[in-house]
Amino acid sequence: MTLTYVLMQNLRRNTLRVVLTAVAFALPMAVFVAAISFVVALAQISADMEKELRLGVHHKTTLTNPLPAGMRSKIEALDPDRRRIAAVCGMRWFGGRVPDTQNTLTSIAGDPDTFPLVYSDVGMTAQDIEAWQRDRRACVVGRNPVDTYGWKQGDRVTLVSTVPPYLQLEFNIVKIVENRERANFFWFRRDYLVESMKDAGVDDARCNIFWIKCKSAEGLRTLQQDIDALFANSPDETKSEDENAFVANFTQAMGNIPGLMQTMAMVVVVIVALVAGNAMMMSFRERTRELAVFKAIGFQSGRVFLIVLSESIMLAMGGALLGVVPAAVLLWLLPIRLTGIGPMIALEVTRLGVIGSMAIALCVGVVAGLWPAFQAMRLQTTDALRKVA
Amino acid sequence: MSTVDIELRKVRKVYFKDRLEIPVLEGLDLTIAAGEFVVLMGPSGSGKSTLLHLIGGLDSATGGSVRVGDAHLEKMSERERTAWRSRHVGFIFQMYHLVPVLTAAQNVELPLLLFSMSSSQRKERVRTALEVVGLSDRADHRPNQLSGGQEQRVAIARAIVTDPDVILADEPTGDLDAKTSEEILELLNLLNSEFGKTILMVTHDPRAASHGQRTVHLDKGVLDREELNPARPRGAAAMVS
Repeated sequence: MTLTYVLMQNLRRNTLRVVLTAVAFALPMAVFVAAISFVVALAQISADMEKELRLGVHHKTTLTNPLPAGMRSKIEALDPDRRRIAAVCGMRWFGGRVPDTQNTLTSIAGDPDTFPLVYSDVGMTAQDIEAWQRDRRACVVGRNPVDTYGWKQGDRVTLVSTVPPYLQLEFNIVKIVENRERANFFWFRRDYLVESMKDAGVDDARCNIFWIKCKSAEGLRTLQQDIDALFANSPDETKSEDENAFVANFTQAMGNIPGLMQTMAMVVVVIVALVAGNAMMMSFRERTRELAVFKAIGFQSGRVFLIVLSESIMLAMGGALLGVVPAAVLLWLLPIRLTGIGPMIALEVTRLGVIGSMAIALCVGVVAGLWPAFQAMRLQTTDALRKVA
Repeated sequence: MSTVDIELRKVRKVYFKDRLEIPVLEGLDLTIAAGEFVVLMGPSGSGKSTLLHLIGGLDSATGGSVRVGDAHLEKMSERERTAWRSRHVGFIFQMYHLVPVLTAAQNVELPLLLFSMSSSQRKERVRTALEVVGLSDRADHRPNQLSGGQEQRVAIARAIVTDPDVILADEPTGDLDAKTSEEILELLNLLNSEFGKTILMVTHDPRAASHGQRTVHLDKGVLDREELNPARPRGAAAMVS
């Protein structure tokens, strides 16, 4: 028998309370892990985007205010020698859902000729590009909807738009994207959308945004200024920004979500510390006499301090471990996984989230156990024993 | 087998509560010979348990000296007393105070975790201690699977497993029926007569007191009187000053 064994056995003393405390620990920690995963995912995606040298051009007032399709040629005309621009892709929001489901996919129509160039990072092969350009109904789909709906390459799938004129369109999957940061996307050809809208009596070829693939960071910066200057004082003034800034603005338009998540995570940590502290105080009060006996048979005060503190840490770490599993399930089940908050989010429990939560649990265990452990260390053996003598 | 004598000189103990001085022991002198079985009696508040705690090094005297063998407890820090206690004193409590989630053997093994000893050496010591108290067949039982008498036997095994010089028992039969009490007291007698342990036992029960070689009566923190038990003659001389 070792002292660790004694500690483990102590956790079995009041099984129901330990289980309830661990669950009370696990659930908030699950929220904490999810919140941290969100913040980490956002930071990671922002970092990835910086490398892609994409410039987004949208209406100065709002993204939902569309721009004329002809702007593309005006933007291209700014760089006739193609020193700064690799390609320009006009895009329009479709907001499609699989019929009879509630999750809106990040479904966007893009120019068929330039989409593979502007989004070269999705990894389309020459064969994929040929299929995309040959098939008017071609679509490129991220991993999340594929996994959720059991799709595979070559399948014909149907989406119903959530924006007027609420078209129901059929698509053929020509490429499944494995990039984690593109896991929620569903891209298809804008010419197909425009023709389908025309068939429905809506003649509207406008775009919500033009994404420009630039050749250098310097080129991106100068283009940003040139484009906004070109359309200044026109009916369609533009705001150009790199992809990182675009995502940041997009998420901030929905509220300061990363900040909110971080605040929520902090609140969760405080709640958990209070729960664990209360449980440890109860446990200490119930075992005052037993701890006094430990001291009576020769356990030094410092060792008794460590016994109580270790129990608190074990309970906290165990609860945190239990919390990681519901966090993974939570992220999987939440509609957020399919719709994405912001255009580029793919949520999952990250290694950093798990390590972070365990580190937090360690701190919470120490903080929660510190006072009871201190009380145990200072316990007057004679007073505690006198109660029964 | 090891055994030591105990000597208390002009021992005072004062507790403070809300700035009020509460004297418990007032200049007590007491000598207990090595290998003696002494019973402490007296009304509640007379200082019996306090005396036990001072001899066991659980508390320090306000004045005077407490010597157990070569150890001058009044000169030792709390840390030193704790280390000394783990090797030289075995405690037995009225309510046994076993750890409910450990088996009888594991409870007995608990004090040995403080010693540099291999697992097999610890197991051997535990087996011997449980044999002495007659509970070898209950080694794997948890406290809630034992009777009160058996629990107290486990507590006694825990007290003797380190082979202490002194055994301090605070009303060890206070929670037991007459028959079981008798068995426990016989066991203490055995530890005293066969193993030569110096035993100091607090009790309110005159029948329990009849098992000791000498009964010391305390009243209001001073020695009231002492009685030798002719039925239990002692080898070593004891002296009340």
